[in-house]
Amino acid sequence: MIEVKNLFLQLGEFNIKDLSLSINTGEYFVLLGPTGSGKTVLLESIAGLKSIQAGSIYINKEEVTGKKPEDRNISICYQDLALFPHMRVKDNIKYGLRFRRDTNTLKYEKNFEILIELLRINHILDRYPVFLSGGEKQRVALARALIVDPDILLLDEPLTALDSGMKATIEEELKNIHETLKITILMVTHDFKEAYYLADRVGIIKDGSIMQIGPIEEVFEKPTSICTADFVGMKNLLKIDELKKKPVFEVLLKQIENSAEFIGIRPENIVISNKIIDDCCSIFGRISHIRNNGIYREIDISSHGVEFKAYLTANSYNDLQLFKGKEVFFGIDISRVAII
Amino acid sequence: MNRKRTESLFIVSFITGTIIMLFCIYPLISTLFWTEPGVIFDTFKDKQVLQSIYLSMGAATITTIVAFILGVPFAYVLARKEFRFKSLVESIVDIPIVIPHPVAGICLLTVISPRSWTGQLMEKAGIEVLGTVAAIVLAMTFVSMPFLINAAKEAFKWVPPRMENVSRTLGASHTQTFFLITFSLAWRDILSGMILTWARAISEFGAVIILAYHPMIAPTVIYERFTAYGMMYAVPVAVILIILCLIMFIILRLLASTRREGESI
Repeated sequence: MIEVKNLFLQLGEFNIKDLSLSINTGEYFVLLGPTGSGKTVLLESIAGLKSIQAGSIYINKEEVTGKKPEDRNISICYQDLALFPHMRVKDNIKYGLRFRRDTNTLKYEKNFEILIELLRINHILDRYPVFLSGGEKQRVALARALIVDPDILLLDEPLTALDSGMKATIEEELKNIHETLKITILMVTHDFKEAYYLADRVGIIKDGSIMQIGPIEEVFEKPTSICTADFVGMKNLLKIDELKKKPVFEVLLKQIENSAEFIGIRPENIVISNKIIDDCCSIFGRISHIRNNGIYREIDISSHGVEFKAYLTANSYNDLQLFKGKEVFFGIDISRVAII
Repeated sequence: MNRKRTESLFIVSFITGTIIMLFCIYPLISTLFWTEPGVIFDTFKDKQVLQSIYLSMGAATITTIVAFILGVPFAYVLARKEFRFKSLVESIVDIPIVIPHPVAGICLLTVISPRSWTGQLMEKAGIEVLGTVAAIVLAMTFVSMPFLINAAKEAFKWVPPRMENVSRTLGASHTQTFFLITFSLAWRDILSGMILTWARAISEFGAVIILAYHPMIAPTVIYERFTAYGMMYAVPVAVILIILCLIMFIILRLLASTRREGESI
């Protein structure tokens, strides 16, 4: 379990301000944030690699704030993997074992066997890192981090440098590792798709502050701030005051509290049809722009001066025979509208 | 039809490179052939020449060791830490490179002369520096240490700090990390810096002659023979020094350039 309480850290002009975070034992927690939001700094603070100016860090209820990195039993895997180039793969993996205070060599030997089996790296043990592919390097870095039985595994954008095919494979392996070893994982990334697949819970970080924490579906469907909504891909952020001026949108604003300023609708939650849609609130509009993204189409619909964005699969797009300027109906499930 | 194309800029580079090569090698070759092999062989038996060469090599080696012991830890902090007035500190490190070497000798003399408080302090402690091997090492260290510090600093910068971070989280202390990761990856470039330091030290004359004309190092012997007897007596000593330095330089360079299979950052 990780508990960060009121963390404060200043690095030049960048600040982490009064940041608190709690991650349960065995949880896969993903911290999402844009570049420069303080994700890596937070990981390094938890690992003891950055000195903090105020606040406290607890690992399994024990305060580790003043402890050195080597005394925290936390492993870190960086985006660039940082494999030791002068050591063969097996020496990289076993590097941490020479510093273990307990002399249970049998346990660590077993860890080694389990990890090379789990990560399928038996055939590359005698190679130097320079002769490994991106995916192999990633697996070696994971094995090296896990062999020492860390309480926490910190992952700093572990999938960013991989191509899409390898990304999917390593994602699968990360999930497998988490399920098999039951280890607490804190991963940071800027890609919300990775979070969607891997995370039990997510947190959104921006400018050194946590904006929202919650189960993945909640953060994605019901963001509590414009910044979070924007970051998790909620493309339709509509100002309530503007919508109120057009009676046609009254149906969208039925359950809205007075204090709310915006509503948010995920583009994949908008249904397009050539006729009125019965089951949800149906609005009339005209297609203003179509963008082909390969596996899906991004459709902009203009309705009474308000722009909506929807995603359609290529099949649905073809079935509906859509084109720029076509008049369509689009439906929105009111229960999935986020109030911000 | 020959499809190979050579960019004109490379032709210019090739021409200037050839000029530089000739500029470096021709004076050396010319020196080697200036005198008879027999004379060189006889000079080899000259006790004063041999002693001066031993002294030059010995003092340069001690200088390199001193520069290594003092310079490497300092270079590490310069490579890893940002602090106030860091640029000023780095500039101070480079001062001995930019000041004329006799001036460097004069500056050192003001510190160790019996007229200075430090000189008086050393005198009271019974430490004699002027005109000793210690003075030679002092002069050599002053002018050559920046080469080692700068080489080590650049070598450490090439080792990603994240490798050190990973090592720390895996249980290694800062010192263990330094030796197992940082120094292990940087040592070849540091060795190159040591070669430069040694080469700079053995070629030092201007600063040394101010602090210690005696005991004579090889450049002082060459200078003395040149001013007293002319080229015929100076060249054989120069040839011997060139040959020995080149042998040493090649051996150390080979050592520094051998990389193990797959080793790169």
